Amino acid sequence: MSEIATFNAHPTVAVRAESPLAFSRVTVATLASAQGAGVCIRERALLGHLILRGKADDAGFRAGVESALGVSLPLKMGPVSRDDGRGVSVQWMSPDEWLIVVPAGEDLATEQRLRAALSGHYAVMQVSGAQTLLELSGPNALEVLKKSAGYDFHPRNFPVGKGISTTLAKSTAVIRRTGDTQWELIIRRSFADYLFRWLLDASEEYGVFVAR
Amino acid sequence: MSQRNRLATGGRIDRTRPLRFTFNGVSFQGYAGDTLASALIANGVDVLNRSFKYARPRGVVTAGADEPNAIVQLGATEAGQVPNVRATQQALYDGLVAKSTNGWPNVDRDLMGVIGSLGGKFMPPGFYYKTFMSPASAWPKYEQYIRKAAGLGRSPRETDPDIYDHMHHHCDVMVVGAGPSGLAAALAAARSGARVILCDEQEEMGGSLLDSRELIDGKPAAEWAAAVVAELSALPDVLLLPRTTANGYHDHNFVTLHERRTEHLADLAPLANGRRQSRARMHKVRAGRVVLATGTHERPLVYARNDVPGNLVAGAVSTYIRRYGVVPGQRLVLSTSNDHAYRAALDWHDAGREVVAIVDARDKPDGDLVAAARSRNIRIITGSAVIEAQGKKRVTAAVVAAIDIAGFRVKGSTQELACDTIASSGGYSPVVHLAAHTGRRPVWRDDLLGFVSGGVPGQIPAGGVNGRWSLRDAIADGFECGVRAAAETGLTAGTFTLPTVAPVREGKPVALYQVPHTKAAMRAPKQFVDQQNDVTAAGIELATREGFEAIEHVKRYTGLGFGTDQGKLGNINGMAIAARVTQQSIPDVGTTVFRPNYTPITFGAIAGRHCNEFFDPRRYTALHGWHVERGAAFEVVGQWMRPWYFPRGNESMHDAVQRESRAVREGVGILDASTLGKIEIQGKDAREFLNRLYTNAWTKLEPGKCRYGLMCKDDGMVMDDGVTACLAENHFHMTTTTGGAAGVLDWMEMWHQTEWPELEVYFNSTTDHWAAMTVTGPNARKLLTELVDIDMSAEAFGYMDWREAKVAGVPARIFRISFTGELSYEINVQANYAMHVWKALFEKGAKYDLTPYGTETMHVLRAEKGFIIIGQETDGSVTPEDLGMQWCVGYKKPYSWIGRRALTRPDTKRSDRKQLVGLKPLDPQVVLQEGAQIVLDKEIKVPMPMVGHVTSSYFSPNLGHGFALALVKGGSQRIGQTVYLPMADGKIHAAEVVSPVFYDSEGARHHV
Repeated sequence: MSEIATFNAHPTVAVRAESPLAFSRVTVATLASAQGAGVCIRERALLGHLILRGKADDAGFRAGVESALGVSLPLKMGPVSRDDGRGVSVQWMSPDEWLIVVPAGEDLATEQRLRAALSGHYAVMQVSGAQTLLELSGPNALEVLKKSAGYDFHPRNFPVGKGISTTLAKSTAVIRRTGDTQWELIIRRSFADYLFRWLLDASEEYGVFVAR
Repeated sequence: MSQRNRLATGGRIDRTRPLRFTFNGVSFQGYAGDTLASALIANGVDVLNRSFKYARPRGVVTAGADEPNAIVQLGATEAGQVPNVRATQQALYDGLVAKSTNGWPNVDRDLMGVIGSLGGKFMPPGFYYKTFMSPASAWPKYEQYIRKAAGLGRSPRETDPDIYDHMHHHCDVMVVGAGPSGLAAALAAARSGARVILCDEQEEMGGSLLDSRELIDGKPAAEWAAAVVAELSALPDVLLLPRTTANGYHDHNFVTLHERRTEHLADLAPLANGRRQSRARMHKVRAGRVVLATGTHERPLVYARNDVPGNLVAGAVSTYIRRYGVVPGQRLVLSTSNDHAYRAALDWHDAGREVVAIVDARDKPDGDLVAAARSRNIRIITGSAVIEAQGKKRVTAAVVAAIDIAGFRVKGSTQELACDTIASSGGYSPVVHLAAHTGRRPVWRDDLLGFVSGGVPGQIPAGGVNGRWSLRDAIADGFECGVRAAAETGLTAGTFTLPTVAPVREGKPVALYQVPHTKAAMRAPKQFVDQQNDVTAAGIELATREGFEAIEHVKRYTGLGFGTDQGKLGNINGMAIAARVTQQSIPDVGTTVFRPNYTPITFGAIAGRHCNEFFDPRRYTALHGWHVERGAAFEVVGQWMRPWYFPRGNESMHDAVQRESRAVREGVGILDASTLGKIEIQGKDAREFLNRLYTNAWTKLEPGKCRYGLMCKDDGMVMDDGVTACLAENHFHMTTTTGGAAGVLDWMEMWHQTEWPELEVYFNSTTDHWAAMTVTGPNARKLLTELVDIDMSAEAFGYMDWREAKVAGVPARIFRISFTGELSYEINVQANYAMHVWKALFEKGAKYDLTPYGTETMHVLRAEKGFIIIGQETDGSVTPEDLGMQWCVGYKKPYSWIGRRALTRPDTKRSDRKQLVGLKPLDPQVVLQEGAQIVLDKEIKVPMPMVGHVTSSYFSPNLGHGFALALVKGGSQRIGQTVYLPMADGKIHAAEVVSPVFYDSEGARHHV
């Protein structure tokens, strides 16, 4: 009897996948071009998202994760481990929890690599359908974040590379700084429309462009 | 109309930019840089309002936030109406429209004035309490009349078209107030490398520097202010917020600021770059240190008829002349207790108008400003005060007398000085509001004759609020406090030299609040303490005489400090009077409590963006777009927008639900069940954890199987339910109720983290990862067979099994569970593929008339089966046994589980507890009201013992009659009895107590 039931969520035939923003993307109007926009929002839809749980103080666990993912396992809140070339990132979420983002369709393979490398008390769960990633950028992106969250986004407290999880409006988001004026927000599917519309509304005064 | 009080030169207004505005329907002109108050003064408008209680004519008294009288209703449009705006703080803009807040029918001929002037003696403090106390039933009538007579502005009757927002900030040093000490503090902190926020409530930063007579580094003080602002604005980590009031100081150096972003521009927020901008913004600042540089408010003297228009505080006179280039009259009498107020007379004189006299309460004033007045040959009357103003709608004369302050009496004869303006100064009160918001009481300082901060950790008072009143001291103190604030946040001081300010020698002030009159206060003409609330010195005396001696009681009995100005001008004088008549010291009397907000805030700014669609998050499923297109009516369930029913054409809700219910029982229906909470559980102790969490047993559930479970709280009461599937030996998929999902996950984490950390198990919410579609009805199998790649036969895929399959090409987990009582499959796919599967089901489902149904039909169908809904049949006081679900409780499990202990108490075993039953109304057309109380006797008598209530009630098209679920005391013993439900309209319904399972009680329909 197998201990864990892995599941390949992806069809092998051509099937139209819809991101969490499929509904709001067609029902909300924004600027036609990025020219003059203070804020730009781009959805990086349909990526692979996984939650990893395990013991940070177990050397075998750490080594296993790093060998399976090819990036270091962050052991405290701070810089997100990333390999942008392969599109892999690992973010510390809590003392025994990490968020792994991988390219579209690679969630099961990532899970399988982790399971092959790990043993004992750990868990890997796919959440690719549960969330989506938004890139928020532009000269006024910071103001939009300050309107939406109580966290201190100043570079002294939030340098490029750092990732956190916090409240965003009346929902939550994972927020990562990828550049001086570039951010990634990872938001839950069911709150995605609310947050997307919130961000557009908060960005309105700066001019907002939503990239296709 | 000419601006007859406008000076030809001087002031910070722009005479090349005239602005039109309307006050009480009359058109006037002012200039850019004016406030509404300065523009009205320029135009010679004396009466701005009628007073609240006595309807006395009132004019401008101050030039700032402490203004009690010049309170206007602003707005050119109905939607743009803003009540209770201080004209002294409202920037003039072209097209501004304002009205008096009080005055019916108008300020010049006020009907209430007649009653008020008669009523002076008849309307003492407590007048309303005393007069309108009985009968209590008549109060609504009284109130209607009193409100019309009094009134303090009105809200708009139309929806506010403007938008508002919030912004969060973090900084090392928050400086409140951009006067001399605030600017110095901000500069010192910023040069030390601190992240600084500097806010100021005025249009322009500079505070008292903008109307100062003094020089800084040999140049006008305003130039230094401009240079500092320019330097600060060039620094990246400095945020300057003009037109921004620090309204609340909260624990842990959390400060709320109210920024008025467009109220200086137009009635409604204009577009900026073609885009909407917020009218007001609330800034939420978390600061390392807060430098309080809020300065002082000047206290007027309390003398008879001191409310007649033309009575101002002395500093305001200087502000109007030097900052706005207007002189508020022709002939001035100044009554003062201190040197500093001499500025008003000097500025008046230098503006070319007549200073009739300076009346100084001290015997031998001798400071630099006094010398300056003498050198201008201004008459100074010493040892005296203005004891009464004359005139009705404008001051015509000042009555002056020598006074004995200690004896509180007038000495010798009085003289009348003809004048149109009386400026008064009784000293300066540090603006300690923000130092008191967290509950710290301010402390009296005899040397200052004022209250200062009682000391708040993390807060540093600087300059005027710290008792450092001269310009030279205020700047030096500001720098010092700025350096200290930066140092306390771990930064090292930057370099700078103090600017040079020539010292000004000021003599010692004398303590004078209420000025004695030739008549006792109770008999003298009214001496106003709080002009906005018409509180007089006599009123305070009367209150203390009637036993209201504590200052909080005086406040509530007289109304002292209750206005929109919160007594900024009058409170200290009121306390001083209470102290005098109760023969205490001012610190013994103490202050009332200062509370946020410092000045009124529009509700829009408090709500910010959290209104309309953003009031509460709306959660959508992956199929939301389809539901919208299909015309679904939605209901909100735990923030989710769930389809309630899908009307066809003009179908009513009832008809739609009846049709949908029949479709499921007779054909096949489909429900978007994605909102159900889903929790993935992994770990070798997952099964044991479930055993402890649920009331029933999980040891033997095999992979491929599902089981219904009940969760109780530790008190034995049902908290949630749902089906959990065993995916693999150490792997489970749990479902919870839609609304309970987050709470259940928290509950599991709590027990795991605090009680059973040794169990090797992890949980994670997968609610959003999976979309769930329930295909249910006799034709469900036929439909699914067309779309799946597995054997759907009853033998291969039995009831309470789950199978992995591809549905329309998409990998799915299909759970054969039923909440309708019909053959039922719940298809779970990764949410990104849900729309494809849903549409494929409808493609193949057309020939079966696949019917989408919503939550209402779901409720009807489950109720026909007697299936409970958490929060409907349960309310936190219902046990599994109460629900007749003993079969779901595993008392024999080897390890205890949550709720077991409570469920073995005698109370939870009582046979007369409220138990779940069905109710069948004797009249089949009746649908009982949910929540209706149940009684055993048809006859109404008192007392009427109530034995239970209806929890769910519907009309069933499948049964052909109304039916209900109910909790009834000892209900399981009452099957077959008739109970009664008296309704509010007098009707009494009768119903038979029956089994809660109304439909297919043997479960034949889903075992196929």
